Amino acid sequence: MTKEIDARGLSCPQPVVLTKKALETEREVIVFVDNDIAAENVKRLGANMGCTVTVEQQDANTFRLALLKSSDTCALAVEEALSLPAGGPLVVVIGENRMGRGNDELGYILIRSFIHTLLSLDPLPEALIFFNTGVKLTVRGSDVLDDLQELEAKGVKLLVCGTCASFFDISRDIAAGGVSNMYDIVETMKNAGKIIAP
Amino acid sequence: MMDQPENYDVVLFNCVSHAIKAEKVLKATGLTFKIIPVPRHISSDCGVCLRFPREQKGAVEAALQGQVEVREIRPLC
Repeated sequence: MTKEIDARGLSCPQPVVLTKKALETEREVIVFVDNDIAAENVKRLGANMGCTVTVEQQDANTFRLALLKSSDTCALAVEEALSLPAGGPLVVVIGENRMGRGNDELGYILIRSFIHTLLSLDPLPEALIFFNTGVKLTVRGSDVLDDLQELEAKGVKLLVCGTCASFFDISRDIAAGGVSNMYDIVETMKNAGKIIAP
Repeated sequence: MMDQPENYDVVLFNCVSHAIKAEKVLKATGLTFKIIPVPRHISSDCGVCLRFPREQKGAVEAALQGQVEVREIRPLC
């Protein structure tokens, strides 16, 4: 199938983002952009994704790019295989509201940075598990609440250790994810293909 | 849409401790901001930066002025 995208007037990185999205489902994508930098960026994306790219400048402000997925999809299949964890989904376990030991102030910066960066993973993790002081990241007013809610909206399961929430007396303040128990936590870890613990 | 990257600016710092200091200063002002990793396309020695909605640029600059050493304020994308 062919899809046409008019990305004229859009600023960086929208033309690339829209093209990448379209290439996930379409075999051929035609993109119109209004400047040579955007054209170059879209062209590079196409090349990286294994497409044949033809660029045609139609007038001073219109570049037409045709991206055709190569029929040799081996490269893409390999990429896909590499992005899927062998044997099961990716699960992230967060057992502290810090990342690393040594300096808490730094650790708090790092864990926030870590959680924000999870949003750029493709595919996203299947689940995030919060326990011990990690549960404090899921409450109302948490600095990462927006990121956690976005992950949840995108289908990532957030399991919050109920024992821990109760211990810190924050059960009623949990604003992302659901209170969970050790059975679900152990089961989710057991079924993971890969576990990341920051 | 507020969530579009082009609606944000970022403050870059020379080191993480300046980012931590800036966060404290801005928390006291009630401005909206967020600590995020420095995007890959921006080079910086310090791995984190401070993202804020562009319309707050003047207020953010004023709050940090004379308080924290800032390397650069620039568009997120």
